This record gives sequence, C-alpha cells and structure tokens, in this order.
Amino acid sequence: MNLKINALLVEDEPILAEVNADFIQRNTNINVVGIASCLKEAKIMLEKFNPQLILLDNYLPDGQGIKLFDYIIKHNLNSYIIFITAASDMDTCSHAIRYGAFDYLIKPVSYERMTYSLNKFKLFFSQQSKSKHLSQRQIDELFNLQTKDFIDNQKTSKGIDSLTLERIKALFINNLQALTVEDVVNRAQISKTTARRYLEYCIQTHFLKVEIHYGKIGRPERYYQRIAL
Amino acid sequence: MTKTKISRIHLRFAEKLFIALALLFTVAILLLHSYFDNITQAHLYKSLGERAQIQAKELAIIPELVAAVNQHNLRAIRQLINQIDKQTDASYIVIGDKNAHRLFHTQNAPLNSPMVGGDNADVLKGASIIALSEGSLGISLRGKAPIIDDQGNIIGIVSVGYLLDEINEMHKAQSSPLILFSFILFITLFVFSYIFSYLIKKQMFNLEPKEISLLVRMQKAMMESINEGLIAIDLDYQITHINHFAIRFLKIPEHALPIIGQNLFIYLKQCDLLNNTANIAEDIHDSISHFNDEVVIASRIRLMINGSTQGWVITFRKMNEINSLNKKLSQVQLYADNLRALRHEHQNWLATLLGLIYMQRYDEAKEFITQQSNTNQQGIDFITDKIKVPAIAGLLIGKYAKANELGLELQFDPLCQLSQIPNSLTDTELMSIIANLLDNAFTASLEQLNRSALKEKKVITLYISDMTNEYVIEVSDAGTQIDESMKSSIFKLGVTTKKEGDGVGLYLVKTYTEKAHGFIEVSDNAPQGTIFSIFIPK
Repeated sequence: MNLKINALLVEDEPILAEVNADFIQRNTNINVVGIASCLKEAKIMLEKFNPQLILLDNYLPDGQGIKLFDYIIKHNLNSYIIFITAASDMDTCSHAIRYGAFDYLIKPVSYERMTYSLNKFKLFFSQQSKSKHLSQRQIDELFNLQTKDFIDNQKTSKGIDSLTLERIKALFINNLQALTVEDVVNRAQISKTTARRYLEYCIQTHFLKVEIHYGKIGRPERYYQRIAL
Repeated sequence: MTKTKISRIHLRFAEKLFIALALLFTVAILLLHSYFDNITQAHLYKSLGERAQIQAKELAIIPELVAAVNQHNLRAIRQLINQIDKQTDASYIVIGDKNAHRLFHTQNAPLNSPMVGGDNADVLKGASIIALSEGSLGISLRGKAPIIDDQGNIIGIVSVGYLLDEINEMHKAQSSPLILFSFILFITLFVFSYIFSYLIKKQMFNLEPKEISLLVRMQKAMMESINEGLIAIDLDYQITHINHFAIRFLKIPEHALPIIGQNLFIYLKQCDLLNNTANIAEDIHDSISHFNDEVVIASRIRLMINGSTQGWVITFRKMNEINSLNKKLSQVQLYADNLRALRHEHQNWLATLLGLIYMQRYDEAKEFITQQSNTNQQGIDFITDKIKVPAIAGLLIGKYAKANELGLELQFDPLCQLSQIPNSLTDTELMSIIANLLDNAFTASLEQLNRSALKEKKVITLYISDMTNEYVIEVSDAGTQIDESMKSSIFKLGVTTKKEGDGVGLYLVKTYTEKAHGFIEVSDNAPQGTIFSIFIPK
C-alpha cells in the first residue's frame, strides 16, 4: 500500500530549502509540493496544497513558525508538523510540544535524523490510513516508535546495570529488614541518585516494597523492604 | 518699608468648634437672660403700679379718712394712715386736699406744700391713675385715687408710692435665681461644647478636615497607583472599596460598576483566603491562594475599629507576574553576555568548517556540524519519548535549554517516565514543583561554579517516574551545600539562600506537595550538593 504524502517545506534560507527538498525527493517517496520562505507564503500554500506534512522552521522573517499551529487548528487542516528549531531557540520547542507536533528537530539537522523522522511519519501515516478509528493506546504506540535504534547510546537502554542491581538486591535477599536509601548508599557504595533509581526499579519489579515510618519529629521516613515470598 | 508679618494663630478644628459653640451659647444665654430680666421688670412695675392704685382706691373710700379730710383734721389723718402704713409695703403714702396740697406724708415731707410730680390733674377730675414720675423723694411709681365725699365732690387725693430704689431692690431679689439659673445653664453648655468638640476630635483621629480630605484623595491615588489588587469588604463580604487592578482581575463588567455595596462572592467564586474562616481572627500575610483558579499571593488584614473587626482589606498580586518579571530581567543580562561569546565562537566554528571542507574531510565536517545539535536532539527525543504530559515535557525542554545556556548540563535519568500527572495536582502545580527545584539546582550549581577553581561542567540530574504506586521526583545537583541551620526553614515563605531570591520557590514546592499528600526529603549529595526528593502517592 503506497500512500502519496505531500510535504511543504517552510524555510527562509533558499539554498538550504532547496537542498532539503532535493534530499527528500531523492531519498524518500515523499513529494515536496512547495517551499515557503515566510509565514504568509506558508499560509497561501497550505490553502492551495493542503499537504499531509509540513517541515516547519521556527525562524522566519515575518514571525515565528509556531504561529502556524494556531492557523492549522483554526482552519481545520489536517497537516502534521515536523517542527525545526535552532539549539538556541529550544524554548520554543517547549511551547510547540503543547500543540503536539509530530516530531521536533534541532538545527542543524543531521540527514540521518531527518530520514528517521520522515520514515517514522510514513509508517504512522500508513497505519493511520488503515484504521481510521484508532484507540488512544494505538496512537501512543505509533508515536512511541522507539528512538533507541537511532540514538545508539547505552545509557538510554533500560538504564539498569545488572551488576549494580545484583549488589543492591544482595542487601535485601538475606534478611527482611527495612533499609533507608542512606543505608543502601553506605552498604553498596553507590551514589544516592543511583540507589534511588535502582530501589524504585525494584519496587516496580515487585522485589521490594516501601514502608513509610513516621518518626519522632513527624518527618516521614521511607524504608525499603523485601516483599516476603 | 518692611512688612511685619503677623503670625496668625492657627486654631485646630476642634478648638474652633469649641470656641464657636461657646460663643453661640454665651450670646444665646445673654439674650435669653436680658429678655427674662425685662419681662420680670415690666411685670414687677405693672403689678406694683396696680397694687399702688388699688391701695390708693381702698384708702380713698375709708369713711374715717373721707371725714378727716373733709374736716381738715390732720391729726386724725396721721393716726389713720400711720396704722395703715404699717400694713403696706409701699414706700410712702401721701394724702392731699382738693388743691393737691399735702395734708399728710408718711415720710414727713413738708405739709401744705403742693404734691410734687405734676400728675394730679386727672385725679382731681375723678380718675385713678398709675404714674411714674419724680416726686419729693425721687423717682417713684405711684397709684393715685381721688377722695370723694357723700355728695360726690372730690375733696382730696390719696397717693401710694413705691420708690424706684426699692423697686430695684425687689427686682434684684427676684432676678437672682434667674442669674443663677443662667449661670448654671452656661456652665453646662460650656462643658457640653468642650466634650462635644473633644469627641469630634477623637472621632477624626486628631486630624483636621483638610487633612482628612487630603487623606481621602491620597488614599485614592495610592490605591490606583499600586500594581496590586486591593479590596476592602465589610463583615457581610460587601465591597466597600476596590481598585482598578482588582476590578480588572475579577473581570467585573462595565455595567456592574460602581460595585461598592455588592457582595464580593458574586465575582470571586472561589477564594480560599476568605473561605478558611477557622482563623478569622488572624491576619494573613503573603499566602499563596487561588482566586478564581488564578494563583495569587494575597494578604488579608482585619479592619479594626475600637477593638472589634469591622471588615477586611485584601491585597493580592499575580504570582506569575512576579516570576516573569524576575525571569525577564535575568534573561536580558544573560543574553547580552552570551551574545559576545557566541559571535566569537561562531567565527571559529566557520573557520574550522571551511578548513575541513577544503581538505575534503567531509565526514569530519558533518560530524563537527551535528555534534552540537546532536546532544540537544537526543535530549528532546528522550523527553518526548518518556514524558507523555505535554506541559511537563515542554517545561523540561525549556529547562534543558536553559541549563545549556547557563553552561550547565541537565541530565535525565534513563529511567525517567511520566504518563500522567497526579490527580491531586494541576499541570501548573506539578510544573511549579519541578521548575522551582530545577531553578534552585541551577542557581546552586552556578554559585559553586563561580567559587571553585575547577571550571568543569556542573551536572544536574533529574529523576521523575511514575512507574510504581508513587510519583517520585528527585533533583540532585553538585552545587553549594545548604547549611544545617537553614535546612529546617528553607521551605518557609520568604526564606532564601540566594542573593536575589524572594523565598517563594521552595514554599510553593512544599505547599503543592502537601496539597497532594506527598512529602519531601532533603539530603546532601556526595561529594557536594543537595538532593531534593519528592514522593507523591497516586
């Protein structure tokens, strides 16, 4: 099933816009229907082409690209936006998130990342076309197409190192006593932030449970304790 | 010529009032007194005159007297009249013949000489009169009657007189109670005026009317000039005063103005400042509360008059206004500093790039260009992937960017995840908790960075997770430690360790956390810094 996706590029640097359009045409089967260099042009082209996808740069001569979100909502258009901002302008991204762009890219965008984003959209779009009635869960899943295969970084995999986990579990395995985070820090010789993360992970996996003890001062203290089997 | 300035005595209003009242009463009493005095005098004259006339008439028809006068028996007359004279209060009695020559005079005036006064003509014609004229003894009031014999001939005159001196004596005796009465009245009114003016003075807080009107105008100007909401209400929550800021804030429509006297709750649907009537007897200062779903910092002060509460004055300002103002100021400073550095960096950057391209080291060129955006891209990707609440995701991206700008690094724990916000908090409240903790961590890290010789990048880590049956938010930094002595009070409103802090941030964190029935742990990070951990039950 090969759906036609029309895309509009909104970018005020003509050379960059042209190169990007060229790249998209060549490497994906997404059709670039227009290049707008400012908000005004973008609005005209939106009316004209009603594209499924907009690659929107936030920095434009006649205002911020983010304004286009409002325009799209107001005019009931069903275009998805891949929002592009400079690193220095990341704050705008934090506003754009509330509108729910399809993806957020930081300039200068590596072409690998752009390719990934476009492919993700194609997948999402074909899924969406298959079933017009998606449950919220399915939509979440679509949006959650894992980025980890793209960002090759050990840290973002689970974030749980099995050796450390074993060391912490060992503290609880042989006794049922309750320990505070400080106890765990002292005995396992790890930092407190690490300890917290692993302990919370152990709660999630139902190895430990939390008990709140209200001390003399009235300040509650958290004790981690093994769930007796 | 030099003008000599006469220093005018400036009397205070209460004194003026007292003097005016006292003068008014004095004049009134004097007028009253003289009026009564005149009336009593006139009355005295009239009654004495009549008395004299009646006595004269009575004497004139005593048969013995008629006979004695007829016979010119002076001795008989003297005996008779002397007896009568003992009974009367008149000054004198004179008996005259038909030629108005004295036949007898109680005061031993010369006899057979004409009666003095020149008012005998009418009497000799047969009329009795009352007259005030000068006689031989001085001015007197006299009643005269003709003596008529059996044949109806007028044969003499009886004159009964009251000397003026004696009348005045009598008058004095009569008017002394009046004088006493007037005096007492005067004293009473004088005291009353004094007390009245004193009370007025007290009521006006010792202020002059001019000062009061100035105060009223000043109050109006002040109320409108402050950029704060100000509402005064009475005990029935009716608005007695409100300024423009508050009118705008409460979105009171034009047609509802003037709003004085209307109930405040018509426009303020929800206000926890007034709803908690538990501590109604206390003033509340700078507490964070909600007015119609807007967060404000508000105070409630009782209006006390004579020791009893008559109403309240509520002042408030918008929370986010204060924050945004602070933000803007610090941002401008920052941008100016960063811009110079950036421009220089940018030139170097382009030079490097040109070099790489010229040397045809393309892969390195690509690497070099994207290395900067890659970190940020990963940050955004991570946040959008793990944090499913747009408001919070937006906040974290913003803070992530801010940390970069400040030369710090905000690291997210790989186990971060958030699929929804606690039911007990709103988006903005949870945002406030996270934002304040991060801002504090940034500030502490920057302080430490400026202090230490090592210019290594300071890292702030955030762990936020709802994977268990609790929400856990943990922010740790490697910044300056919090003194042990401060630890117990950092959550109090107005307490701050920052140079330019306002002591609101952590107070908010605590307020919202407690609202959600969660709790906060503060502990030291190793080797240095602080860890704030917040646990909120689901």
